[in-house]
Amino acid sequence: MWLPLQLYGCFQHLWGTMGNAILLAEADVVLARARAGDLDALEKVYRAYEVPVYNLARRICRTAEDAEDVLQETFYEVCRSIRQYRGEGSLWGWVRTIAASKALMRLRRNRYREADELNEELQPPTGMRVDGSLRMDLEAALERLPETSRAVVWLHDVEGYTHEEIAGLMGKTVSFSKSQLARAHLRLRRWLGEEAAET
Amino acid sequence: MTHLTLEELVALREPGLEPGLASAREHLTACPLCQSEAARLDQRSARLRALPSLRPARDRWSAISGVVTAERRRRHLWWTAAAGAAMAAGMLVVVAARHSDRQRDRELLAIDSVRARSTQLEHLIQSYNPDARVTDGTTALVAGQLEDRIAQVDQQLERTEVTEPMRDGELLQLWRQRVGLLNALVDVHLTRASQVGF
Repeated sequence: MWLPLQLYGCFQHLWGTMGNAILLAEADVVLARARAGDLDALEKVYRAYEVPVYNLARRICRTAEDAEDVLQETFYEVCRSIRQYRGEGSLWGWVRTIAASKALMRLRRNRYREADELNEELQPPTGMRVDGSLRMDLEAALERLPETSRAVVWLHDVEGYTHEEIAGLMGKTVSFSKSQLARAHLRLRRWLGEEAAET
Repeated sequence: MTHLTLEELVALREPGLEPGLASAREHLTACPLCQSEAARLDQRSARLRALPSLRPARDRWSAISGVVTAERRRRHLWWTAAAGAAMAAGMLVVVAARHSDRQRDRELLAIDSVRARSTQLEHLIQSYNPDARVTDGTTALVAGQLEDRIAQVDQQLERTEVTEPMRDGELLQLWRQRVGLLNALVDVHLTRASQVGF
């Protein structure tokens, strides 16, 4: 179960951004030029990863404005530090770690969490049904999760980060990451009407 | 029958299974209800991954490239200023070095000149030949003291040439001291000579 899940996380990005993806054949050239500071090459890197970075930021941050700021901060950092990327691991992995770190930093800065905890017991919005509009329902339920739980469930289940990596990014313990993930799934299950009778 | 909690089901998905969860794994294998809950958990994760990608409303590249370009310009200006300062400092060093060279040339010339004067005075004293002349006690005492001091200076000069190299300015001082002492010695002998009517 774990391996396909991880593989899916790796390929999702390639599929999702096929329109702007850097062709493998020219990837080395683009990377070399970007590391030399060529703005055109840096723009190609931006175009290739703009959507997945924004998507990750948007899933973690409360507002679209915050996510756009994270997008900008991430690529500003990429432009400044791309010489430090040694080619260990994928470029996307490197960019994604910068993005996740920036998004979590913004979460901490905005201190959304306290407000979320107050709304913890809120009932799901009306009209949530497990039917044809499932995606929207899941989207709404995800949106309603407390910031930290949402960040953990997204980083773990979608981006494929391990609990150790999440703990490192958040400056928390592995147990914290695990319990946040379980709490997130409890709430999603309830809000999506998926609770089993005897479990 | 106690079924697995969602926390346990989430933990069972992890690659490195904790020892305490071994019995939970056994239960999962045997319990259809927990299996279907685990399947729902997997489906929920899969649906999360299948959510549509969100796209930024605005293109941020122009803002990013603007900041990067401005920072590069600032860095370029800084380097230009730094290079200018380094060049100015370099020119100062060259000027100082040239000044120092000229100073050294002057000192070497002065040493040569004082040495020549020293040799001249020695010849003068030798030509006077004081050892062959009758000398009173006071003159002999003063001349002896001067000769001792000249010998000390000569020792210092010898050390300078052999073991303790000295700056040109200090060497010049030493030679001037020697010439001063030789002048005094000449005066002592000539004064005595004039007193006795030579």
